[in-house]
Amino acid sequence: MSSYVKNFGGHVRAVLTGLKYLVKPNRITVYYPEYYVEPPEGYRGMIKYYPEKCIQCGLCAMICPAGAMKMYVKKGEKKGRPGVNYQRCIFCGFCVDICPQDALEMTKVHDVAFSSLEELVFPPEKLAVEVQSPALLRGAVKVKPVFDEERGLRHE
Amino acid sequence: MLSTSSGVVYSRLLLREGDESVYELFIGPQHPSSGHMRFIVRLQGDVIVSVDPDIGYVHRTMEKLAEGREAIKAIPLLERLTIIDSHNATVGLVTAMERLLDVEPPPRALYLRTLLSEINRIASHLYGMGIAGIMLNHSTMFMWAFGDREVWLQLAEELTGARLTHTYSVPGGVRRDLPQGFGEKFEKAARYMERRLQDYMRIFLENPQVVARYEGVGVLKKSEASRLGVVGPNLRASGVKYDARLADDYGAYKDLEFEVPTREEGDCMARMLVRVEEIKQSISIIRQVLRKMPDGPILSEKYLKLLPPKTRERVLQEGRVKFPALFASLKLPAGEAVARAEMGHGEIFYHITGDGSAKPYRLRVVTPSFRNVILFRYLAPGHRFMDFPAIYGSLDYFPPEADR
Repeated sequence: MSSYVKNFGGHVRAVLTGLKYLVKPNRITVYYPEYYVEPPEGYRGMIKYYPEKCIQCGLCAMICPAGAMKMYVKKGEKKGRPGVNYQRCIFCGFCVDICPQDALEMTKVHDVAFSSLEELVFPPEKLAVEVQSPALLRGAVKVKPVFDEERGLRHE
Repeated sequence: MLSTSSGVVYSRLLLREGDESVYELFIGPQHPSSGHMRFIVRLQGDVIVSVDPDIGYVHRTMEKLAEGREAIKAIPLLERLTIIDSHNATVGLVTAMERLLDVEPPPRALYLRTLLSEINRIASHLYGMGIAGIMLNHSTMFMWAFGDREVWLQLAEELTGARLTHTYSVPGGVRRDLPQGFGEKFEKAARYMERRLQDYMRIFLENPQVVARYEGVGVLKKSEASRLGVVGPNLRASGVKYDARLADDYGAYKDLEFEVPTREEGDCMARMLVRVEEIKQSISIIRQVLRKMPDGPILSEKYLKLLPPKTRERVLQEGRVKFPALFASLKLPAGEAVARAEMGHGEIFYHITGDGSAKPYRLRVVTPSFRNVILFRYLAPGHRFMDFPAIYGSLDYFPPEADR
């Protein structure tokens, strides 16, 4: 008999715990693309290339673990410039960390979509152009994640 | 029922050949809730007589791939063993590489590694609990655990710049220093988690329906656990106090005080409760790490001095590591090194052999899930079929990790 009483108590506690969150929901997702969660400082997004700083040493292509970064050599030149194939890139940031001239940088942009596989290949010229987040271009509201004792994560 | 004659452990196979009352049931390989594998279950009526885990559906030849590329490239590769627990999966590899290269990471780097390892452990256990919940059709537990995982992923993202593929530890140190205001953010997340764990207990682990599914189901005896070579929370739930954080010297664990939670029962419930306790211990470890963390560089002096003076100054100031050019072709000296690390699922073991070239001659990985997969064979027979998902969920088995 006592186990029935104990179980009844357990059921009631479980239901009450669920009801608590029915009244005060704990949603931590946001509606993308109306809202855009801004990544934190130092986020490893798409790569930006600064050709004027580059000394064409090729270390970035050497360390790339996925073989995504390649040196594109122009006709008549000896040294190449880096380009990225985003079909392969794993956003580890090794190329940025090894660049002795800071000619590569990771931007916070990460939500770009492409309509064909060829578009994912970024030669040096394309890599030097700043990529924009399509959601932000369409006027998404920027929100930042805030840690909260009551709700875990809020976005504001 | 376990036969142990002549020191060999046989499976609890209750099947007689040619018995027509037994029928086979194939579960998988299409994602039976947590992963890509197949179970060949033989049933007599509703009672399981044998389970054959058919693994290998997500085998990616990771050891071989690692042999074909420079040593440092193995870090982002082997992260993909266990994407939910990626720092714990690679910290062992980096430790082994450091032993081979004879590099000593500075103390601050060790503390930062420990910090991320414990954040990963919490996220990994939450993942395991969520999956265990959905296997019992308890979708609230699934939603809650996966939602709360987001809090820890956010912390990891602020520390490393990526949600899952952190690639944080490199030979000689870590890549980034602690960001501003991390301590307060963590404290909020920790208080939230501690409160949520009580909610988890009430809605899931103390819920009489779940208790009825978990208690006394899939009992793994202490002797059986150590004989089968089981690792991680599954081992500790059977009363064996073994933890690679204590067994091997990596990270800053030797400076920190923590308990290794164990339980004696060895059933599904014990395995789940050990994970809950480990989350609490991890929170306490991170609190100590943030309190005790020493100042100093985050990359070994051996590599820092290879950087140009201007860059070195900036690295020391900004806390963002720049690799020396040497890293692109880091030569591993001839020799061998081993390292162990405790992942959320258990102990991971690395054996790396160098031959003087930039590529490892051989890189051996023994993953915790690979050691635990044998449990399917031993725990399920004798139980009703409805207990199978309960046992599967409680083991926190992760197929991509076992298959490598």
